[in-house]
Amino acid sequence: MKQKLMWVAWPSFLMAGVLELLVFAVVDPESLHWFGQPFDMPRQAVYSLGFFVFWLSVSISGALTLLLAKSPDEVNQPPL
Amino acid sequence: MSESKPPVKKVIPLAVSTAPIEPPPGADAEMVSLYQAHKKIYPRSVSGVFSRWRWILVFLTQIIFYGLPWLEWGQRQAVVFDLGARRFYIFNLVLYPQDFIYLTGILVISAYSLFLFTAVAGRLWCGYACPQTVYTEIFLWLEKLAEGDRSMRMRRDAAPWTLEKLARKAWKQFMWITLALWTGFTFVGYFTPIRVLAGEFARWDLGSWEIFWTFFYAFATWGNAGFMREQVCKYMCPYARFQSAMFDKDTLIVTYDKERGEPRGARSKKADPAALNLGACVDCSLCVQVCPTGIDIRNGLQYECIGCGACADVCDTVMDKVGYARGLVKYSTEHALEQHWTRDQTVRHVFRPRVLIYTAILAVVVVAMSVSLALRIPFKVDVVRDRGSLARIADGGKIENVFRIQVMNASEVTQNFHLSVDGLPNLIVSSETDISVESTQSRWVAVRLQLPYEGAEPGSHTIHFKIESKELDKSVTEKAVFIVPR
Repeated sequence: MKQKLMWVAWPSFLMAGVLELLVFAVVDPESLHWFGQPFDMPRQAVYSLGFFVFWLSVSISGALTLLLAKSPDEVNQPPL
Repeated sequence: MSESKPPVKKVIPLAVSTAPIEPPPGADAEMVSLYQAHKKIYPRSVSGVFSRWRWILVFLTQIIFYGLPWLEWGQRQAVVFDLGARRFYIFNLVLYPQDFIYLTGILVISAYSLFLFTAVAGRLWCGYACPQTVYTEIFLWLEKLAEGDRSMRMRRDAAPWTLEKLARKAWKQFMWITLALWTGFTFVGYFTPIRVLAGEFARWDLGSWEIFWTFFYAFATWGNAGFMREQVCKYMCPYARFQSAMFDKDTLIVTYDKERGEPRGARSKKADPAALNLGACVDCSLCVQVCPTGIDIRNGLQYECIGCGACADVCDTVMDKVGYARGLVKYSTEHALEQHWTRDQTVRHVFRPRVLIYTAILAVVVVAMSVSLALRIPFKVDVVRDRGSLARIADGGKIENVFRIQVMNASEVTQNFHLSVDGLPNLIVSSETDISVESTQSRWVAVRLQLPYEGAEPGSHTIHFKIESKELDKSVTEKAVFIVPR
């Protein structure tokens, strides 16, 4: 379980870093709007929150991959 | 088949072993399994040529990492990636997010360097430069200072808690946490001026995101280098998984000379290995004990091997002690071992098509990037049509188009620019043509262009803005479209 957690958390951490770089290289947080209202947040806050949003979303993708990669036998097995 | 001989090493009674290398107490009980992450690995410290190189690289990389943020350049920090202001200062350079191409260039160079080094000499990155290895090495050294070497640590961990054990562990944690915090602080110091950050810490003003990231990075360093260690390489690192794509049979890797070493077995120092039908390996298991990932190099190339050469170092010392030739475990290639190449032959095979192609691509990218940086004009211009109107009739029946021009000063002096336009006869700039932009700042200016009535056919016409910096005596030309209404 611990290992699976690392499998998900680590690659998504790396990819969140890549996304952060790509997205914020072209997007200036000060020009962002939130439902029509300008973001009232310092850039650092947007960068930081952005990173965690990326990390979380990519983690979910990784976790789903792990789930779908299970063989039918593993899925049919009763829980421990 | 059923009458096959038992393995040779079992024929040699262990009692005759007077091999000078005594396994530390508890070592024989320690069977390091490849697939047990939960089994703690206690790497034994080692000295030798590879470990010396590793320490040299640890020093070099860390002096740069910890020292660079403190270096001043003129009135500011020499290297700082000011995310808040979206400006990146690297010595003389001031880069804008628009200079993304250089970041891409650096990434391409890093990738090809990695391919090149890996093809030539295996996982040099892992063994010598990866932060995971470097910090693990430093943390292991601190651990050794507090708790002693492998055998002492193992004995103490197995023993019940005493005051001394508690004191030693606490001392180790204190050193680890201090170093981790310093590392996190330094890391954040690349993104926010480190002296300002130091001031925030000094005032214990812990409200900002910078402080959060300092602790976050410190926590990651402490966890990765103190506890996860080899598990990061074994279970988390993708590089290890695709090393086979970058290796070939001429890649230098840490290898065990099976032909020379087998059959392995303990023996008396005076015994003639040939008479005992033994190879050069005295089976002292030191190569396993020093391995930071806990593998046995004698089983051949494994993805867990980070190429640090600790086993080669320790084996050389054993070979010296028992009076055999060095190099039972050494840097060599698969082909060289198979075909008994000399050193020269092995070196000659370094220059093979794959390596040459990587080198060529790398050279092209490095040259292109250097030229581009050298020729870079330290200001930028963006031209945008005014969204309000396409074209209008101004006083005196003139046709007017309005543009918004952003001038970005990527130097550290105030620059005065002169704006001109060409592309249509009698087209003039009717607004201010002299623009002053302070150092590292950018400015949007509204620019009105006027053309006499019927000065051009109705439709769109390509025009060019020319922005000249008086200080630098350089100019930039930007294309735009002038619209003449019907």
